[in-house]
Amino acid sequence: MTDETRSETTGPGRRAMLLGGAGAVGSVLLGTRLSFAQPTRPTVVQAAASGTAKSVHLAGTDGWVSMPAGSPPDLPFFPDSLAPSPFDTYVFGFRDVTAMATAQEVAAVRGKAQISAPMLAFDEGDDVTIKLSNLGLLMRPDLFDGHTLHWHGFVNAIPLFDGVPELSLAVPIGRDLSYFYRPHDAGTYMYHCHFEDVEHVQMGMTGMVFVRPKQNGTRVGNVPTGVRLAYAYNDGDGSTRYDREFAFMITELWSAAHYRDAHIQVSDWTDYAPSFWLLNGRGYPDTIAPNGDPQVTAGGRLQYQPISSLITCNVGETVLLRLSNLGYQNHPLTLDNVDMQVIAKDASLLRGRDGSTNYQVTNTVDVGPGESRDVLVTPRQPGEYLLYDRNYAYLGNGGGPGWGGMMTVLRVGAAGTYAPQTQPNT
Amino acid sequence: MRLNRTRARTRDAASAARLRRRSGILAAVGALVAAVAIGSTAGAQAATSEGLLCQTDPHQTFSLTARTGYISTPDGNSIYMWGYGMSSGQFQLPGPVLCVTSGQPVTVILHNTLTEPTSIVFPGQKAVKANGNPAQPQLDTGGSLTSMVQAADATDGSVTYTFTAGSPGTYLYSSGTDVTKQQQMGLYGALVVRPAGAAGQVNDRTDSAFSPQHEYVFLLSEVDPEVHLAVERSQPVDWSAYNARYYLINGRSMPDTLAPNNASWLPSQPYGALVHIKPWDAATNPLPAVIRYLNAGRVSYPFHPHGSDERVVNKDGHALQGTSSTAPQDLSYLKYDIDVMPGQTVDALMDWRDVEHWDATTNPIPTQLPVITDQLLVGADTWFSESPYLGTKGSYPANITVNNECGEYYHVAHSHALQQATNYGAAFGGMMTVFRIDPAAGCPTS
Repeated sequence: MTDETRSETTGPGRRAMLLGGAGAVGSVLLGTRLSFAQPTRPTVVQAAASGTAKSVHLAGTDGWVSMPAGSPPDLPFFPDSLAPSPFDTYVFGFRDVTAMATAQEVAAVRGKAQISAPMLAFDEGDDVTIKLSNLGLLMRPDLFDGHTLHWHGFVNAIPLFDGVPELSLAVPIGRDLSYFYRPHDAGTYMYHCHFEDVEHVQMGMTGMVFVRPKQNGTRVGNVPTGVRLAYAYNDGDGSTRYDREFAFMITELWSAAHYRDAHIQVSDWTDYAPSFWLLNGRGYPDTIAPNGDPQVTAGGRLQYQPISSLITCNVGETVLLRLSNLGYQNHPLTLDNVDMQVIAKDASLLRGRDGSTNYQVTNTVDVGPGESRDVLVTPRQPGEYLLYDRNYAYLGNGGGPGWGGMMTVLRVGAAGTYAPQTQPNT
Repeated sequence: MRLNRTRARTRDAASAARLRRRSGILAAVGALVAAVAIGSTAGAQAATSEGLLCQTDPHQTFSLTARTGYISTPDGNSIYMWGYGMSSGQFQLPGPVLCVTSGQPVTVILHNTLTEPTSIVFPGQKAVKANGNPAQPQLDTGGSLTSMVQAADATDGSVTYTFTAGSPGTYLYSSGTDVTKQQQMGLYGALVVRPAGAAGQVNDRTDSAFSPQHEYVFLLSEVDPEVHLAVERSQPVDWSAYNARYYLINGRSMPDTLAPNNASWLPSQPYGALVHIKPWDAATNPLPAVIRYLNAGRVSYPFHPHGSDERVVNKDGHALQGTSSTAPQDLSYLKYDIDVMPGQTVDALMDWRDVEHWDATTNPIPTQLPVITDQLLVGADTWFSESPYLGTKGSYPANITVNNECGEYYHVAHSHALQQATNYGAAFGGMMTVFRIDPAAGCPTS
C-alpha cells in the first residue's frame, strides 16, 4: 500500500534513483537462460549448498497486451485509448532477463511486461536463487509500487522469501532482491507479486512454477523401457509418469481495472467483474496460437503473451496437465472425450499417510482461486478435443459473439506425429 | 496501489488508530497468555487470549438469544447486525462456539427478541426435535414454506431444539427462517463435536490428534453494508444489487482478526483468529494445530495459508477415510488452499517445520541477503524481524514502529479470491489473519 505519507517521504529519492538503479541491475548476470534449461552456472554464494545451484533473474514492470481480435469495445475501458498499436490492455508483469548480457538490455525491458509470467521449473533439492529487479512502471511515473515474489504454496517458507511486503520486504523501484528457495516437495505451484496483491495479481504478475521429483530419470514400478522417465511426483510406482507436460495459468482480466490503472484512477476491488477469461494470459482462440518470444516483434499483438496453451501429443501418450488458478473465480475445466485422472491437488499427491492412493477419474476438474491440480490424460484416438471452462459464462471475450475465453485444444496425432517434447507447452 | 486522496486521508487516520491498536494487541496477548497459563484450571469459562473459546455445559444445554447489535470494521464503519448470543450475555457475532461430545444429548433453547420469527437449523445433525416434535419444514395455511424448521415467534418467542450430537467434527448452526436475509444479518455460529473419550482428536482416528492449546475456528462470512442499512431502516432490500464489501473471519476483518479474544475495543466480536504456534518437533512439539473452517456465507471462500500446507482430515463432520471395516484407509490430503463451499466445514491439521534450520553462524542461507535499508517496508510499522533467522531480530530504521517481539515469524493466511482480502476494496484486509511462529524456546515476553 502506497499511501500519501509514504509518497512524500520516499517518493522523490526513489524516482531519482531509477535509471542508476536499473543500470546496476544488470551488472551481475546469472547463467540460466530459460528457467527450465538444465545447465546452470553457480554464481551465488554457496555457503551450505545441498543441491544444484540455479539462478533466475526476473524483472517486474508494466506493459501492453492484446485481447482476442474482434472483442467488442467496452468504452472507455476497452480498448484502452492509451494503448500503442497493436495492443489494447494495460498490464503489470514479470520478464525473464536471466540471459541478458548488459544492464542496458535489462533496462530496456521497462514498459514491456509479459503475461503470464515466465514459466519456472526446478528440480527437488535445487538451491534456487531468483533475483527480482523492479524496473518501475513506464506509464505511471507517479507511482512507486514495490514488487515481490511470492512462491504460492512453498512449504515451510520463511517470511523473508515469502514476498508479503507487510510481513517482510518489497523491492523498491531501481533495486533488486535475491529470493532463495530449496524446494523439497515436487509438484505444481504458482508465483505472483504480493505487493498490493489484489491489484498486482489482477494486473498480470502471475506465473507457473513447478518442482520435478527426485524420482525423475529412474525406472520405478512397471514402467517399461524406452519411455520418458518423467514423473509428476515421487510416486514409487510410476503412476504419475508422463510423456508430455503442459501448464496452464488460469486468470481473469477485468478491463475496467486495467484501464483505471493506466489512467490514474482507483478501483474498488469489491466491484470485481472480469471481462476476459484467460489461459496463460490469452483468451481463445489466441490460446492455441504458437509460443512466442517477448523479444521478437514478429509475435505481433501477442508478442507479450508468449505462452501457448495448445496441447499436442501422439495417440496413447500420457499428458500431464498442470492447472493453477490465480484468478478470483472458480473454474471447472472440462475435457471432451478423454478421461481426466486427478493425481494431485495443491502440489500434494492424492495419497494418504498410510499409502492409500485416492486418484480421481473425472471429466471436469474444478480449480479454485489459489489452487492447483495435476491431471493425467491418455488419449486413445487421434483427433481434436476441447478443454474448456464448463461455466459457459466464461467462454466469451468481453461479451462478444462466438467462442472465446477459457478454452484450448488437445490435438492428438497418430503415432510419431510429434517429436519427443523438450520443453513444457511445446 | 494507491488510494485516492479522500480514501488515503481516511486511511491515515485509520492506520494511526490501528497502530495504537496493534501495540495494544501485543501487550494484551502477552498478558493474557500468561494469565491462562496460570489460571487454566480455574474453569471452562476462563478467558483465553487466542484460540478456540468453547462454550461448554455439563448437561450440553445452551440458552441462546437472537438480538440486534453492531459490529465495527477496520475502516471505521459500524454495521447493524443480528446475532445469536448467550441468553445470559449480550449480542455477539458470530454466535457462541458450542462444544459438545459425540453421542451425548444436546439442548439449545432459542429466545427471540427480533421483530420477525427466527429459528436454528443444525445441518449434519440427525433426528433434531423442536419443542419435542420432529423438526420439520413449516408451511402457512396456503401451503407456502415459511421456515425450514419450527421457529420462535417474533419479539418474545422461544423454541427448544434437542438432538444427539453426531459424528465428531465441526458443524454450522444458522437460521432456518428467511434465510437469505437472516444469514446475511449474522445469525450463524459454530458447533464443535468432539469424539467421546478422545477430546484431543478431530475424529475417532488417532491420526487426527492435535494440540489442544492450538485449536482454532475460522468461521467465514461476508457483509453487504447496503443490506444491513436497509434492514436497520426497515426499508426493502434490493437483493439484485447484492455486493459484499466486507469479508469476515469470526465476525472480524483484518487487522481486527489479530486482536485477542474478548478484546475490549471489539465488544460484540469476541473471537480472534491469530494462530500462534511453535515449529513442529518430533520430541518436544509433535502435535499439529487444528483449524476448523466453516463457510456461513453465500460464495466459496478459497482460503490460502502461507508458509505451510494443511492436512484436510475431516469434512462436514466426517473423517476422510476409506471403507475398510478393520483399518479404514487414510484419505486425508495436504492443501495449500482450502476452498470452502457455502455451508461446508473443513477440519485441517497444520504445523510449520524448520526444515533447513538456518542459522546465521552455523548454517547461513547460501545467498546474498538483502540490505534491509535498501528495501521497501510497507507502512509505518512492521511485523518483520528484519532477519531471516527464527528467533533473531535485526536492527530497524529509526522511523519504524516494531511489532516483532523476539524474532518470531509471521505468515498471512487469507482468501485468495483477492477482492475478499480487502476492506471495502482496500488491500491487506478482509478475510485475512496471521499465523505467528515463535522460536522453539518461546518468546521471553509471551
